[in-house]
Amino acid sequence: MTLVRGVILAGMVAIGSALPGTAARAGKADDTLTFATANEVDTVDLYYQNLREVVIISQQTCDTLMYRDPIENSYKPLLGTSYRWIDDKTLEFKLRPGVKFSTGKEMTSADVAYTFNHARQPDSGVVTRLLVDWIDNVEAPTPDTVIFKAKAPTPAAIEYLSGITPIYPVGHYDSAPTVETGGKPRRDYGAVLPVCVGPYKIKDFKPGASVTLVKNDQYFDGSPKGKPAIGTLIFKTIPDTDTQLAELVTGGLDWIWGVPPENAKQLAETPNVTVKAAPTTRMSFLSLDAAGRSGKNPMQDVRVRRALFYAIDRKAIAQQLVGEGAEVLTAMCDPRQFGCTSSGPAYPYDPAKAKALLAEAGYPNGFKTEIYAYRDRPYTEAVMNYLRAVGVVADLQFLQWKALRPIMEGGKAQLAQLTWGSQGVLDASASVSNYFKFSVDDYARDPEVRDWLEAADSTTDPAKRKDLYNKALTRIDDQAYFIPLFSYGRTYAYNSDLDLPITPDELAHFYRAKWK
Amino acid sequence: MGRFLARRLLVTILVVLVTSIVAFSLVHLSGDPAVAMAGEGASAADVAAIRTLYGFDRPLTVQYVAWVGKVMTGDFGRSYYLRESVMQVLAEHAPITAILGSLALAFALLVSIPLGALAGLKRNGLVDRLASAVAVTGQAAPSFLLALLLIYIFGIRLHWLPISGNDTALHYVLPAVTLGMYATPALLRLTRSGMIEVMQSDPIRTCRAYGLAPWRIVIRHALRSAIIPVVSLAAVQFGLMLGGSIVVEAVFSLKGLGQLAWESIQRSDIEVIQALLLLTALVYAGLTLLADLLNALLDPRMRLS
Repeated sequence: MTLVRGVILAGMVAIGSALPGTAARAGKADDTLTFATANEVDTVDLYYQNLREVVIISQQTCDTLMYRDPIENSYKPLLGTSYRWIDDKTLEFKLRPGVKFSTGKEMTSADVAYTFNHARQPDSGVVTRLLVDWIDNVEAPTPDTVIFKAKAPTPAAIEYLSGITPIYPVGHYDSAPTVETGGKPRRDYGAVLPVCVGPYKIKDFKPGASVTLVKNDQYFDGSPKGKPAIGTLIFKTIPDTDTQLAELVTGGLDWIWGVPPENAKQLAETPNVTVKAAPTTRMSFLSLDAAGRSGKNPMQDVRVRRALFYAIDRKAIAQQLVGEGAEVLTAMCDPRQFGCTSSGPAYPYDPAKAKALLAEAGYPNGFKTEIYAYRDRPYTEAVMNYLRAVGVVADLQFLQWKALRPIMEGGKAQLAQLTWGSQGVLDASASVSNYFKFSVDDYARDPEVRDWLEAADSTTDPAKRKDLYNKALTRIDDQAYFIPLFSYGRTYAYNSDLDLPITPDELAHFYRAKWK
Repeated sequence: MGRFLARRLLVTILVVLVTSIVAFSLVHLSGDPAVAMAGEGASAADVAAIRTLYGFDRPLTVQYVAWVGKVMTGDFGRSYYLRESVMQVLAEHAPITAILGSLALAFALLVSIPLGALAGLKRNGLVDRLASAVAVTGQAAPSFLLALLLIYIFGIRLHWLPISGNDTALHYVLPAVTLGMYATPALLRLTRSGMIEVMQSDPIRTCRAYGLAPWRIVIRHALRSAIIPVVSLAAVQFGLMLGGSIVVEAVFSLKGLGQLAWESIQRSDIEVIQALLLLTALVYAGLTLLADLLNALLDPRMRLS
């Protein structure tokens, strides 16, 4: 079926190539950039939906206190002008004066305090708790000063306040409807359309179908995001990749992502279409039951775990199977995350060494096991083939994520191929700490690693943090608790009339785009 | 007639009840709805918060009984994901599927009845072979393949028709033809075989003996009898189409019921799934009833029985 679709698609792209004159591109002519993905968007409030599409839309419409420049990978003041740690648990922000919401109301510290004091409540329904659970209280002593009181030292606070925690005006959620779920009434805060300070403002939102944004002419001067150049942005949901490609080739769309590797090269030859790939923070890895949570099993032996590491040609999988933008992972974190360094062994592809280690561990003929997976079956099958080559026969249990998650939480998987995107947070606390602090996802249960990570996650001294993460990551690699495989790449295809930076954060910064 | 309707209503209620219990159980047994709602990027803490907030930590029977209780009062609940009442969600998606299904059925009938009748009249002739080719192609080609071919020819090469969305009437042409082609082969074959059988029957021979004009025999007498089974089949096909075509709606980016059902299952939007099941069962029951009534109109013997 894939072959047939590929042939048809090749025909589409070829015809698109042959018809440069007839495929009029509407985007530049009417100053409207139309982009599409396969996901339906139910809300554009980032506190209530963690889809990457919503992060993209939110970053066009809703500024945050800080801005992480995606090209320089550095923090810059946005709605705040400066910050300082008064003590380990008290963070003070000075706000930018004269900044207005898209409604014309001036933004003050009361709005910032309102937003975070709402979000931090346990019953607020905020979907990514990591971003707000660190906050004990937020105060607004003067109109341009905000004070965050943390529950514990939170060195990643600046990261949490950069790009993913929008600010809303006081009373924003007052209009949230009351609905009944789980037999009790609750407020559906995600149903309220965001009102923010941002380069764009929301003109129209059709849940599950489209979002229309228009340039915010009142957007303040001096923003590190710059003033937007394109008049209108339209997001559409188009579930089928082939239809997205056809629309892009014929000029109905200006930007798509997730172009399959088999189509990327041919699409790149199409006039008026630019194709670029970039890495993302989503990592793929093998979870091994070193702690024996699933019962006595071969993964409890470090020699077996190291053997599996040596058995897999991660470079071949990343480059030849996953495609452009993918990178081999050297540790259980993304290299762009703060604190992501490991001094552990590199485990180059060496099947002979893998076999020798298995023999040494008492498995000269290998063994049989189950491997759980939920995403990108061909990648898991490639891993299985490498394992089979050294005698480890893995029986694939391919499930939907909602079915696999309880199995993982219940400690029932000896071996699983998982992925994690760190919730878009560029700090090692969002990756390695998620898996090795004795949470339900921790299959290593190493107290030493846990203690290092606990200390790293709550130390404000950057050098000390880096050292602690390095210790934890080095031990994880040395003990081969998990096997980091590769980071995913994303292939973007867009109208060649667009001047748009492609960044390694799996986002699209349309506020920085302009027509050539 | 009254007993017939009452029996049909009872069967419908039983079907709806059983399918809703099975569906409710399957949605929960196939995985944790809280995980599906929280999304792939959610941490264990995020999932736990959603489980409590939405009441998924309650026993299944309690959840099911609560849902039934609400439905009995006319409240079909609220889509967890789309943040709208289920009735509103259905009202937004159903017209798209209804238009698509109606156009597809119209296309299928317009192609299959004349072509099938002609094929039956001129067995093994050119038209019969053409009909056979249409039937085989329609049956063998998967919907997605036909959809992509139509997009390629009419959208990309000729630039005649739009290829995704439902903004204008033209947006429905390609999806309706694709979906209609799915129903055409069966309707065509049935019309053809019906026509062959009827043309050899005694009443038609009698008509010929009376010297009636051939066109009159075909149109007024033969076709009328030949399409009786076609009506029943068309009702079933229409029911299938109104249930929504996941593939056709996905390829042409139509936000109809098929796409809604698929997405709702993916994200365990239980109340939408249950309402869709209820709606589908009712539509099927209604269409089957309609087919029976139409058949009774076309065939007096059925009225008597």
